[in-house]
Amino acid sequence: MLLFRSEEDIDRWCSATGEPRGEAVPLRQVWQLAQAWYGNRMHPDFRGRSALEAGAVFASVGLTSEFWRVS
Amino acid sequence: MATILRERDWQVRLYIYQFLVAHTHPPTTAEAAQHFGLPEADARAAYQRLHDAHALFLQPGTTNVRMANPISAVETAYPVTVSGRTLFANCAWDSLGIPAMLGADARIDTLYTGTDIPARYAIEAGELRGDDGLVHFPLPFRHWYDNLIHT
Repeated sequence: MLLFRSEEDIDRWCSATGEPRGEAVPLRQVWQLAQAWYGNRMHPDFRGRSALEAGAVFASVGLTSEFWRVS
Repeated sequence: MATILRERDWQVRLYIYQFLVAHTHPPTTAEAAQHFGLPEADARAAYQRLHDAHALFLQPGTTNVRMANPISAVETAYPVTVSGRTLFANCAWDSLGIPAMLGADARIDTLYTGTDIPARYAIEAGELRGDDGLVHFPLPFRHWYDNLIHT
């Protein structure tokens, strides 16, 4: 997941590299996602995350499009 | 079939994370074996099970840790300065995952992809400061583990 200035830059990058064109998420929303996803990663009781739980994390930060469907 | 991790595997995983954060490089299986008082073969087996379960990722064909998400064991375009040391994130998302995981302030100095334009942002007291941008997720979650290095 790379950082870009704009959707146009992403389009150019994907055309030039053959990278699949996915979804662009604003950095501020990614910070919310990072906190929800990684906040407990070093807790002694962390035991991974199911796909269902991953979907709940995405939804909790507003990532609810088809792209973020987990199965 | 899904890999079932043992309680000791989770302890080894946490040790790898703590070591990686403290030393900025991951522990070898010999170091893990010494820490837990195990034969090295048992530490190697634990590393492999953690890899198979996607709890961390090994360099192909080895038991060297390549990624303990969000941290990369190799240099990347996303250096994260945190608590006086530099850790490398696997990607732009993970550059924010490191301060999220550590609950610490952090500074990230990178470039916008495909440009020579600096992108500098930071986490200060839980708030994102500095440059903005868009993080591109090329693949949906259901395909993230098809090719993790690409993702």
